[in-house]
Amino acid sequence: MTDLHWLTAADAARAVAARELSPVELMNALLGRVARLDPQLNVFIRLDAEAATAAARAAEAEAIAGRLRGPLHGVPVGIKDIIDVAGLPTTCHSKILIDNIATADAVCVSRLRGAGAIVLGKLSTHEFAIGGPSLDLPWPPARNPWNWEHHPGGSSSGSGAGVAAGLFPIALGSDTGGSVRNPASACGIVGLKPTYGLVSRRGVFPLSFTLDHVGPMTRTVADNALMLDVIAGHDSLDPGSAAARAGQYGSRLQRGVRGMRIGFVRHFHETDLPAHPEVAAALETVVGTLQGLGADIREVRLPSLGEFAAVNRIILQSEAWVIHGPWLRERPGDYGRLARRRLLPGAFLSARDYVQAARRRLQMIGEVEAALRDVDALICASSMDPPSRIEEAEETERTYPRQGRTPFNVTGHPALAMMAGLSRGGLPLSVQFVGRYFDEATLFQIAREWERAAGTDQKHPP
Amino acid sequence: MESAGVMNKTTIELLARRAGLDKALEEFPEDVAAAAEQASGAVERMTAPTDPRAEPWPPMRAGRQPGGGL
Repeated sequence: MTDLHWLTAADAARAVAARELSPVELMNALLGRVARLDPQLNVFIRLDAEAATAAARAAEAEAIAGRLRGPLHGVPVGIKDIIDVAGLPTTCHSKILIDNIATADAVCVSRLRGAGAIVLGKLSTHEFAIGGPSLDLPWPPARNPWNWEHHPGGSSSGSGAGVAAGLFPIALGSDTGGSVRNPASACGIVGLKPTYGLVSRRGVFPLSFTLDHVGPMTRTVADNALMLDVIAGHDSLDPGSAAARAGQYGSRLQRGVRGMRIGFVRHFHETDLPAHPEVAAALETVVGTLQGLGADIREVRLPSLGEFAAVNRIILQSEAWVIHGPWLRERPGDYGRLARRRLLPGAFLSARDYVQAARRRLQMIGEVEAALRDVDALICASSMDPPSRIEEAEETERTYPRQGRTPFNVTGHPALAMMAGLSRGGLPLSVQFVGRYFDEATLFQIAREWERAAGTDQKHPP
Repeated sequence: MESAGVMNKTTIELLARRAGLDKALEEFPEDVAAAAEQASGAVERMTAPTDPRAEPWPPMRAGRQPGGGL
């Protein structure tokens, strides 16, 4: 058997079900790795080793008795610390909520537990999922396992770093302007922002009501589809929850891309935000590979990244202001500088600005929908640069907004980011696939073909 | 408040105080000024719809249960 820490969730669950692997053995191996690596990586805000070990023992007993809870029986999972886990703090990596203890599981956590997953602990994030890698918070920022001197992306930083480092096979993140896909890009894993409303947000601390998404972060495409199978589904108590039928997201993983029509949004990385040459070259490699495997690649145009980012920002900061306004008035010093600077703009946006952005949003949805009428999916850049050095605040500030992810928070389309290759410096480069509403299965189909061709699931940090 | 166009220092201070940010203005004046600049920049970069009939998204949906989705 492969090293336990590199086992996929699907393989681990299969081995547990076949009684070839004890959940306790798996948990002990991962806790040992956490003890060795986390002092450098800062992935955990709260490691719940005792409860996780107890849950692993219970899972072992259930497996021996032939009672499997579901497709993730005995599989450890990490949870971003803006998502509630009953009895544990939800701090949002902030002094503001340092004493906030969750009284119930978020719906997505409850679904994972129902499928047999074991919560390992709460993971570091950018403050309230919007700050940046900050040294002025109660916990240090997570670091990139490919090179500890580099940023692992954010805001789901601990989720990305921990999955890539082999501390757990799967994690939950959240994505309001790219926060699942950014760490997936920087850490060389697979991160999905599902269609808006596909995964319940109940029990997740909000950043922006109409832009927030919860998504799976994994080392393989198959695990991502499996995790989405578990967490997707209607929630009548989440006002944004969709009534769409969910499930069977991995049913087309082996079908390949022959005959598929894929639109390449080249202007994102060529003219809107010119990408680092290694990123541009990696994107051409992905496109060329898929073309060689039979996909029909054609160029498509969408509104510019600059305008998508502006609309995202106006909506996000207006909605975030109603959440954070009271604290920003009374306790501005309890925020880190980056989060404070990113949350305060809401005070300077008017009702007119917000409604105009919402009107432009509908037009943008129409433009992306029009592009997706002629193709089955889109391919475009995720991050325009390799991960920045975490200590170089100016470089991180410069590269942070250089990305192609926010458009699909604005429009709500599903978008998946994954490794496109490695830079000469040994850091992950990324690509993004975007699909029609509720057509995540097609994204997984394309992503799996690229993963198979390039072997990205076999590439791990040194 | 009309819109976050380009703002001078007086306007920034006025808007910040109206938003109840007296404490932030006193303790973190640079962050408040940077925030105002960010807001202005975002509004300037957006092409606001000019068609009076352009609707906002998401729309009001009377009679629909929460969770109707997109």
